[in-house]
Amino acid sequence: MTWTDEELVAKSVGGDHDSFNELVLRWERPIYALAYRTIGREEDARDVCQETFLRAFRALPGFRGQAKFSSWLYRIALNLCRDWIRRERRAPVVQSPEDVDLIEMAAAAEPSESIEDLVARKDLSRLVEKAMTLLPEEQRTAIVLKEYHGLTFQEIAELVGCPLSTVKTRVYQGLIVLRRELSKNSKAIR
Amino acid sequence: MTEIPCTYGDDRDAAIVAFLYDDADGSPAARARFETHLQNCAQCHADVAALRGVRAQLARWSPPEPTFAMTNPQSNPQSAIRNPQWWQEIPAWAQVAAALLFLGVSAGIANLDVRYDHNGLSVRTGWSPRAGGSDGARSVARAGAAGKSDVSETLELTPGTNNVAPPAGMAPASGMAQGAGDVVQSLVVSDQTAPWRADLAALERRLKTEVRATQASSTAQTVRAVSTTDADVSRVRVLLQESEKRQQRELALRIAELLRDVDAQRHADLVKIDRTLGQAGVEVMKNRQQLDQMNLLYRASQRQ
Repeated sequence: MTWTDEELVAKSVGGDHDSFNELVLRWERPIYALAYRTIGREEDARDVCQETFLRAFRALPGFRGQAKFSSWLYRIALNLCRDWIRRERRAPVVQSPEDVDLIEMAAAAEPSESIEDLVARKDLSRLVEKAMTLLPEEQRTAIVLKEYHGLTFQEIAELVGCPLSTVKTRVYQGLIVLRRELSKNSKAIR
Repeated sequence: MTEIPCTYGDDRDAAIVAFLYDDADGSPAARARFETHLQNCAQCHADVAALRGVRAQLARWSPPEPTFAMTNPQSNPQSAIRNPQWWQEIPAWAQVAAALLFLGVSAGIANLDVRYDHNGLSVRTGWSPRAGGSDGARSVARAGAAGKSDVSETLELTPGTNNVAPPAGMAPASGMAQGAGDVVQSLVVSDQTAPWRADLAALERRLKTEVRATQASSTAQTVRAVSTTDADVSRVRVLLQESEKRQQRELALRIAELLRDVDAQRHADLVKIDRTLGQAGVEVMKNRQQLDQMNLLYRASQRQ
């Protein structure tokens, strides 16, 4: 039987630690991905992810269920990311490896994907990552939540605490910047 | 479509984004209005197409695969989150090497000196050099006479005298009157002008008197004690030898176990690396073959 997040939260509040572990297993990857795409550092994203669940675990008895558990988690993670960015006082960092690790890449390859395709895919991924770092934090967060986490504009507006129209404008402006940067970088590597 | 600038209105950006993401929260009427506009506006059409392309590119960005250490379904989540087991990712042989290096460095820093010879078992730590001599009490005396402040802590078991020498600076135990006399004498020689010289001289006189008195009354007891001491010392020596052999056996066993574990882990790592390299090699070979075939075809077509 698959429990809903809210049921697992209730069981966890009742002292069932396995239920919280189930929630962690369910949400650790999305939260890590959100942290990584927001701050751009693998290790720090892992720390943010851990801290998110630690804070959630501590605050679980106070969770009243006004919002979805996932939205609550996202909010904690985003606050931690924001703290991280303020603390570091810099834009997210792109971790681009100096050399290409063929073994690692071969392991990541799709069954039907050739080495050339894989290299192209990795290059594009790095380009996108680099372009994303150029966006202001608000635009980046809005795009990440919309594009990669599938939140509705209304949910994003509630999460970040701004009007619905502002979220849409941030997404639009962010996409325009990305369009320009990706086009520029694509020409540069040709 | 025309080249006329877009006249959609102030909410154009929001309308494009809502259309792009197929926003279910938006009103159907607004969506229908924008779709109608899109059919006649080249600018909006181009923007939507370009932004769709951007979205397609964004979909190619995937974060690196994380290694999560926070979840352990069998344990308390709080403790599981707090105890990342990153060290388990390090190969066993590297852990063993690090542990041995740490022990070696620690022993070096502590200036650890363990000796077991005809003078008995001696364990020393600290920075100053050994005072020298086999008699614990005399070693202390000489260190004191030279005016050295020996910060090392010394424990010496001397079978011949059954004396346990205390760390430098501490008063010798009872039954070490001769050693105490040496200490006093040496200190007097070393510093003739010290203000406490008179006190030490008085103490020396009192100790000598007490020693003479106790020597006379305890001669018989001393003879018995000496024979008992010799027996005890030989027993202790046998026990120490047995203990040492047992420790050596245990150490050898542990090392053998460690070596076996390291070997097994190394073997597993090598197999893993070999498998991964094999996969990569197969891919490279396939690509190479494809390239060779392409080259052949190209040359063939060039000849024709």
